[in-house]
Amino acid sequence: MNAVDGSDHYSKTSDEPPPSLLTIILDTNPNAWALLSPTLPLSAAIANLLVFINAHLAFNNANKVAIIASHTQRAEFLYPLPAHEISPHINGSNTHNGDVEMADGDEPTVAEETSTDDANHYRPFRQIQSTLLTSLSTLLKTTSPTSLTPTTSIAGALTLALTYINRCTLNASTTSPNPTTTTPSDNALNPDTAPPPLHPRILILSVSGDLAHQYIPIMNTIFACQRLSIPIDIAKISGDTVFLQQASDATHGTYIKLEHPRGLLQYLMMGFLPDQSCRGFLVAPTAVGVDFRAACFCHRRVVDVGFVCSICLSIFCSPPEGAICLTCGTHLQLGEYGEKPAVVAKKKKKKRDMVDGKAKEATVRSRPG
Amino acid sequence: MSASSLRSFEYLEGLPGTTFNRLYKQPSTALAIFRRMLPHLAKSFVMALLYISRPMPVTDLEAWVRPDGRRERDNAFNLLERLHILASAANPGKPRAYNLTNPFAASLRLALTGGGGHNSFGVPTNVAEDDVITIPELDEFARKQWEGVLGYMVGSSTGVDLSNSGVELSPGVQHLLRGGGLVDIRGRRVEITQDGFAFLLQEVNAQVWTMLVLYLQAAEKLSMDECEVLSFLFTLGSLELGVPYSKTNLTATQCQMIHDLSDFGIVHEATPEASHFYPTRLATTLTSDAGGLRSTSLASSSDANRGFIVIETNYRIYAYTSSNLQIAILQLFTRLITRYPNMVAGKITRESIRRAISMGITSDQIISYLTTHAHPQMAKKQPVLPATVVDQIRLWQLEGDRMKATPGFLFKEFNTQADYEAT
Repeated sequence: MNAVDGSDHYSKTSDEPPPSLLTIILDTNPNAWALLSPTLPLSAAIANLLVFINAHLAFNNANKVAIIASHTQRAEFLYPLPAHEISPHINGSNTHNGDVEMADGDEPTVAEETSTDDANHYRPFRQIQSTLLTSLSTLLKTTSPTSLTPTTSIAGALTLALTYINRCTLNASTTSPNPTTTTPSDNALNPDTAPPPLHPRILILSVSGDLAHQYIPIMNTIFACQRLSIPIDIAKISGDTVFLQQASDATHGTYIKLEHPRGLLQYLMMGFLPDQSCRGFLVAPTAVGVDFRAACFCHRRVVDVGFVCSICLSIFCSPPEGAICLTCGTHLQLGEYGEKPAVVAKKKKKKRDMVDGKAKEATVRSRPG
Repeated sequence: MSASSLRSFEYLEGLPGTTFNRLYKQPSTALAIFRRMLPHLAKSFVMALLYISRPMPVTDLEAWVRPDGRRERDNAFNLLERLHILASAANPGKPRAYNLTNPFAASLRLALTGGGGHNSFGVPTNVAEDDVITIPELDEFARKQWEGVLGYMVGSSTGVDLSNSGVELSPGVQHLLRGGGLVDIRGRRVEITQDGFAFLLQEVNAQVWTMLVLYLQAAEKLSMDECEVLSFLFTLGSLELGVPYSKTNLTATQCQMIHDLSDFGIVHEATPEASHFYPTRLATTLTSDAGGLRSTSLASSSDANRGFIVIETNYRIYAYTSSNLQIAILQLFTRLITRYPNMVAGKITRESIRRAISMGITSDQIISYLTTHAHPQMAKKQPVLPATVVDQIRLWQLEGDRMKATPGFLFKEFNTQADYEAT
């Protein structure tokens, strides 16, 4: 009879892991890819990425994927596309609540052509492939040489990714008929009561370095991810940035710097494919040391040692002008910065003490005798 | 691993290695088995090994898994070997190494990248405008056919009139149900068996798989090639809902299958002579996981049927349904008191549960049925069902299990006392 007692059988544990949403941020900075082209041209990288996406979708029927291009000056969705880009003539019906409808895999996003290739390709895979390729080529066509900068707008892409994840999480919690009652922050606050309906994660394929000028927005998105427990994985193909290492470290993601960019696919398959429920069993291939340096708020320089405002914790590479914090405006007192510390000469221990100590020891030893 | 896949899975494991080799030649089969049959960790292993040309030493794979995940790792390896996906490579002099077996790896790679000439994901056709069947129509067809099958099984024993469902079961289906031991035909009366009850209380997806395994076993007797049948089933799972597919490139066996499966509502063909067919939701969710099913399965496709049972701590049960089939199933283990146009109310009593248990239904089946069909308002709570009710149902079952028989031996007629002591 004891078998019926005990309350563990109330909690219905689902042995199937929840579906995962993979948001890929692809750094499409043309400069960096041009530099990379001898080892890993963009086309090869995209082909590898597509196989990886298909593998992700093959894991589970309900797995989802979103791809965001972080271009030189803006960030754009490559898949799924905002609905008005596909069908501009029915735009009016979509904007009634200020939401942008995202065409998902359920609706045919691209013009359906019945070619002989169809029968040899699993349909969801083919849809993503064609959408991704067309949107990427339009993105590259609309890039003018004048807009080229050596950096990329990772922060914007991360923000887009977070908004999309938020939306999908809301949609996924279908058990409540009224989705407004549960916000994702509720889920994040009490994860024990309800199992997460969706495991989101972000993967950044980064090729360009130097993100120092976006330090603040990037750190903000990182903290948002940390709070929502969304891991950020980084595949560093080339270049080097400090902050992405911190991103993966703070959110328990994976950071891999690709030694051989040619083997991108194997890195992706082995390091980045397992989702959260799998990673519990696997040894994470992560970076050895994390660079925790920050960028100063005044010149966006990466600093080893800096000055921190005692009120708002802003970081400066040198004392700001007039000792007024640039962020919060507090008048700071620098104290006696730059002065040499007054060194007080060490007092020498008196010899007499030493002699006394020895003498005491001697007496202690001699006592038993 | 959900219960639904278990049966198909056990069946698959029993197949000889050569059948696997032939099965894995189809990319759709490789993809479906990968997606449906493997536990999560095993999928990671397969993907990690997929694009490595050399066999991977066991030590490397073991180093990849954390020490506390050893049990899961061994499970995964075990299963992969049983399904002939993973094989230890023969390289003498070196430590044991694993690689993926060839037809499987090649097919999975093909499935991921596309290409080849296998046509295993179905050939869509274009159909004239007025012949196009919409998705709601397909759902309705599938629901009608499937409920017809279930109604045939339930109808006889509960006395609820199900004849208005208007589905005439084909002799083939009736034969299959009897062959699988789900119903027993005595004279002209159809009587449901214990297995039949267990079948009724399963999820739709599990029911479909059970039925398909029965079909597979029957197919062997009809001298249909089981390999062909299986691979076509997996192909069906990868088709898209609402798209017509051509029959021209199918073999005779597969055309026969389409005809048989349309009796269950798994596929839809306008006429046996038509050149195309539509997969219904029953087919396209064949290879989905349980997680994806809850939102897409047949039961929830029409809003009326999506979770309709409210159960209170005082054992009263309210079911918002007007489907005769659902009422008949409920009646198996509840005492229904009142019936309203869109709702029935009843009570779970000791007698009703005992009656169900005497028919061979277990308490776990009842509980899982109630859980899967719980009203959305109830499903929000954790635990879904009131704890008192769950406990009481189990207790009512245990009442009957007070004595347990264990096999024993009786030795008698010993010749001498010494013999007796020696044994």
